[in-house]
Amino acid sequence: MTSRRDMLKSALLGGGATVVAATALGSLGPEAAFARSAPDVEPGAPDPNFAEGRIRSIKDNTLLVLGSNMVFHSIKIVDGTSLWKLGPVPFDEAKPGDGLYARGVRMPDGVLAAESVWLNIVNIKGHIKNITDKTLHLDHNGQEVLCHVVAGKSVAVHSESPPTADLSMLRVAQHVQILGAWRPDTNEVDIATVFSPH
Amino acid sequence: MARTQPPDTPIDLYAAVRGEVSWFCCGTAWGPCSTTGKGACGTCNSGSLQHAWPNTSDACWAITHPDTCGFNLSRRTCGFQHRTTNLCSGVSVVTSIADCGPQTDLFCGERSCCGSTCATDRIIDLTPAAYSKIASLSTGLRPCSIDTA
Amino acid sequence: MHGIAATQPYVIALFLVWAGLMKLFSRRMRARAGQTALARLVGAARAVPALRLVGLLELAVAAALLAPPLSPWEGVTAALLSAGFLAYLTYSYVAAPTASCGCLGAHSRPVDLRAFTRAGLLLAASLLAIPADPHAPLVMLGLAEAVALLALSAELDRHWLTPLRQLLVRLRRPLAVPPSEHVPLGTSLHLLYRSPAYCSASAQLTSDVQDTWDEDGLRFVVYGARERTAVFAVPLTGNDPSAVLVTLVGS
Repeated sequence: MTSRRDMLKSALLGGGATVVAATALGSLGPEAAFARSAPDVEPGAPDPNFAEGRIRSIKDNTLLVLGSNMVFHSIKIVDGTSLWKLGPVPFDEAKPGDGLYARGVRMPDGVLAAESVWLNIVNIKGHIKNITDKTLHLDHNGQEVLCHVVAGKSVAVHSESPPTADLSMLRVAQHVQILGAWRPDTNEVDIATVFSPH
Repeated sequence: MARTQPPDTPIDLYAAVRGEVSWFCCGTAWGPCSTTGKGACGTCNSGSLQHAWPNTSDACWAITHPDTCGFNLSRRTCGFQHRTTNLCSGVSVVTSIADCGPQTDLFCGERSCCGSTCATDRIIDLTPAAYSKIASLSTGLRPCSIDTA
Repeated sequence: MHGIAATQPYVIALFLVWAGLMKLFSRRMRARAGQTALARLVGAARAVPALRLVGLLELAVAAALLAPPLSPWEGVTAALLSAGFLAYLTYSYVAAPTASCGCLGAHSRPVDLRAFTRAGLLLAASLLAIPADPHAPLVMLGLAEAVALLALSAELDRHWLTPLRQLLVRLRRPLAVPPSEHVPLGTSLHLLYRSPAYCSASAQLTSDVQDTWDEDGLRFVVYGARERTAVFAVPLTGNDPSAVLVTLVGS
């Protein structure tokens, strides 16, 4: 890992890169991006290249996931797969019981080769009912969700101002969006980002 | 003074509109998704290419009130298809309406930018399957362009 | 015991008048009637007429409680109304847990423990009122009961509980953080999203953050980009998006 990081760092800084010029993208320009988004899946239908559910078991580098429609998914984690659990984490952070979303490529044998995996990620909107020690009490569709501030990780974004780790300008009774990591089988969430409209 | 029909010409009637796109979960899924249930159309699933629209009915408009932010959107009902394009990357996804949302009037004036390209106000909410096609779920909120598919 | 029973009709009538007037005259409440549990029970089209009917009933019982001829039947009627109300709350909790009660206010509040407690206390008060007590009401008891019931009314929270919580938050500062050198990843990513470097590479990215580390005042952030890898360098200090660097590295 260390040598890979050194290699990446020297590729970036040694080359004096600033932006990747449009011409340098060559055949991987917007046309290719459009081709990727060409309607291969019927709108409204389940996307075969996406999986949602809870991890039932983990064997080697494969996650066995039970979807909410009672379908099992086999999700293969490869070298290039990103794993998110309140931020980028290594593969051993995945645990049975974690909620999961994964996007990748569905192989002919039905296994999903994952490009991105997000564990326990939630994006909930609601009113702040109360603020107690490092915790926002959020009213989400009538349900109370306790949203915990995580030192060194949680940030607040107020429109397009630079995000701040100081959440103290949030007010009781205001509406917010909270992107965070659900604590399985609880009504509690660890906050990654609070989006505040003002 | 509850109006049931927006009086002004909807901004999406003749051209694509720019706004913010976020995502939400629905269906009988894990976490806090159960309170959303199957959505206003009764068909919403986090794994399907679907979205929430602020003007699917009078009752929906009474909740989202985009006119509070100074604009109106066309009445589109369950199953109607929109194309949402991420302004950063140009990648787009076509989805069909499965729920009422987002709560546009509670986030009036909020801005999201990619580089120097910015958009204001929440116009559309996608399911995780749809949002992850055009942006990473951990971004939470992105500027986008919406037109009819 | 004297006077306790005499006090109850005033307390119950206070709530019935409030509830009845809201149902009959609050346009906002009528506008939201379709989203209440009542609409689930009688159908959305009949929600507003049903609401008005219940309002009239409440005002009628309140008038009977306050009008001079004292009768045990007033207490019995109030008790029946309260019991019916408890049954409705139970239905609401079970059948439409996220729907608004549509009870005493236009601000939608799902049914919770406070609502049940309030309804239970009103039922208890109605039962206590049945022995038609000719004595004078106990003013302090009445005030205490009214305050307790008002405190249990979630519809009123925005007038007192929310400002109280806001004050406590201002005094206690529960979210204050000690100043720290550490820059959260979210801050760097937000700067990244606003950078021309990110704009130029965004269409190529096929994963979320694979790896990130800090070195020499820069935060390196690595994404997958199809067969290649995208590496960004985001300055840890300052807020200039144009200072972000990127390159695509072949596998």
